[in-house]
Amino acid sequence: MMAAVTIKKKKNKFSEAPVFTEKKDYRPEGVKETGLAFVGHEISEDRTTMNQFLHYDQLYTIRHGWNSKFFIGLLDGKIMGTRCPKCGDSWVPVRTHCWNLDCNLEKTEWVEMPLTAKVHTWTVAGWSGRSSLKRLPIILVYAVVGNSKVAIANELHGLKPWDVEFGMPLKIVFKPKEQRIGAVTDFHFEPADGWKPSPMNKEKERIKKLVEPVYEWVKTLK
Amino acid sequence: MSRKVCIIGGATTPFDYGPTGFESIEGGAAECVKETQQDVPEFSLRDLDLMIYSHFSVHFGHQLAPEWIIHDHLGLVGLPHYRVENGGNTGGSALYAAALAVMSGHHDVVGIVGWETMDTVSQSQGSEFIAMASDIRYELMVGGIYPIYYAAMANKWMKENKVSEEDVATIAAKNKNNAMDNPKAQWYRNDHKYITVDDVMNSRLISYPIKKYDRSLMSRGVAFLVVCSEKYAKKVNPNHYVTVDGMGLSSCTIRAGDRLNNPGWKERYGPGYPEMTEFAACRNSAEQAYKMAGIKDPVKDIDFGEIHDAFSTSEAQIYKALGLADQTNIAQFIRDERTSMHGDIPMNPGGGLLGYGHPVGATGLMSTIECYYQLVGMIPQKHLSRKTEVPNPECGIVNSHAGTGTSISNFILRRH
Ligand SMILES: [Zn+2]
Repeated sequence: MMAAVTIKKKKNKFSEAPVFTEKKDYRPEGVKETGLAFVGHEISEDRTTMNQFLHYDQLYTIRHGWNSKFFIGLLDGKIMGTRCPKCGDSWVPVRTHCWNLDCNLEKTEWVEMPLTAKVHTWTVAGWSGRSSLKRLPIILVYAVVGNSKVAIANELHGLKPWDVEFGMPLKIVFKPKEQRIGAVTDFHFEPADGWKPSPMNKEKERIKKLVEPVYEWVKTLK
Repeated sequence: MSRKVCIIGGATTPFDYGPTGFESIEGGAAECVKETQQDVPEFSLRDLDLMIYSHFSVHFGHQLAPEWIIHDHLGLVGLPHYRVENGGNTGGSALYAAALAVMSGHHDVVGIVGWETMDTVSQSQGSEFIAMASDIRYELMVGGIYPIYYAAMANKWMKENKVSEEDVATIAAKNKNNAMDNPKAQWYRNDHKYITVDDVMNSRLISYPIKKYDRSLMSRGVAFLVVCSEKYAKKVNPNHYVTVDGMGLSSCTIRAGDRLNNPGWKERYGPGYPEMTEFAACRNSAEQAYKMAGIKDPVKDIDFGEIHDAFSTSEAQIYKALGLADQTNIAQFIRDERTSMHGDIPMNPGGGLLGYGHPVGATGLMSTIECYYQLVGMIPQKHLSRKTEVPNPECGIVNSHAGTGTSISNFILRRH
């Protein structure tokens, strides 16, 4: 015979809702959520072709959920990684479950990573998305933080674009606390203390020649 | 044994950008169908028993389920339909889905319509939209656009393989100049000029080592393709059909940095591969396609290809991932112009993404259609001259590629 089962009253929620006590708004001036609106049109001279302008601007909520500790860590000036208790692999960017199929999606644990890294590969950008144009040229590196098994992308500051090198040692530098927003842009890489660029060579001259017009172009941006 | 999969025809609209000559998406789809019917008069829309739609970003289209508009417009109510989306490999993935449908025996005649309208927003906003297929939590705000991720991967790859900026510039010039023979190509229609390696070298920096002429074009375009059983192919287009003899689809990490030490690849190919430099999903899907099609030596067995040159650098990386060359000879392979029209394995005679254009959802279909035209001898009627006709081809490869190499498909097409 089956054991008796007590059926409880229906729960209100499957889990406790978090209580949000810190809320910040750093929306750039002029950004509004207007939703969907037709805001204009144009018609060709012969009145056979029409273009219509639709404005579409929405506020999204990125629910970081189990990844939240990484982004909260950024606000605190920390790089939080995760580590698999079974195989020992660790990661920044984080994984909440191990990538090793032998570990069968083992839940990972949080570890604070050192604020040191090493360049894995790099590029010098002379063009970018709309929100980054004014900061060009940008040195973008993929760097390995501490003993992470993977590389994370971020900007490298504090040197001429042509001086970046494979394998160069880096430190992680955070923006002042009041400027942080809990996004990867809260930090960037800089050369480790004591690092010196190697002398100019053919490739460095080439990169220098490629970025010089970019400096000029950025000056023309409003 | 599963059934043979055939392609009997297809067409694209001209690829363009901006206000000129745009008919509407559903209008473009209709025109592609009509061009296909001119080439294959026996093909009727009534013969279709499944429609697959190939479209990447509703951000560009400002319309959810836009395929419903096209399907309705083509008069296909009642016919089953669904949309495939897989980044830049959307077209390849739609072809994969169509081939599976025919192979299974459940469907006989499958139509694919692919499209993208990337000129609905500014170029820089468009770049940012595409970059939303990166992991936006970690990458969108620090790289901002795909060329930067590709440049970081290519920079290291080129050094490790001793491939120079000039080497990849020859690929850019080759594809854009091939496009000058193709009236539907965006490079022919808009920029309309032959370029040299120097022009590429002197074009503005996008992200070192990638410059303006090393990257593909943002485009607007529509494509249509008919995938079917051999019985149907023999019925409606007995002299001009090709068979899909091999196909493969593979995947890799969304963030390129997560490829280091990845256990999934270590298990397949051993430690140290793919690093952040090799397109492992290309190698893996090519191996599947080669096995299925009985390709032993790709350079010998394949006559030409239409491959995903989103950047000139990626075309070089793809040569290696397809097994056309290895670390010891890839630079020489490029310098010997093996993939130009006078080479032994021409790549992107149709102009590729660099020349024809890259309206994402239509791109893989465009590559397939160009490959089809070559194999059935239709280049003289589709291109402006025979300069971009591969002489007497038997076997072509189609490659479609997404993300930072995050999803890649390869298809082996043979002349019947
Ligand atoms: Zn593990």
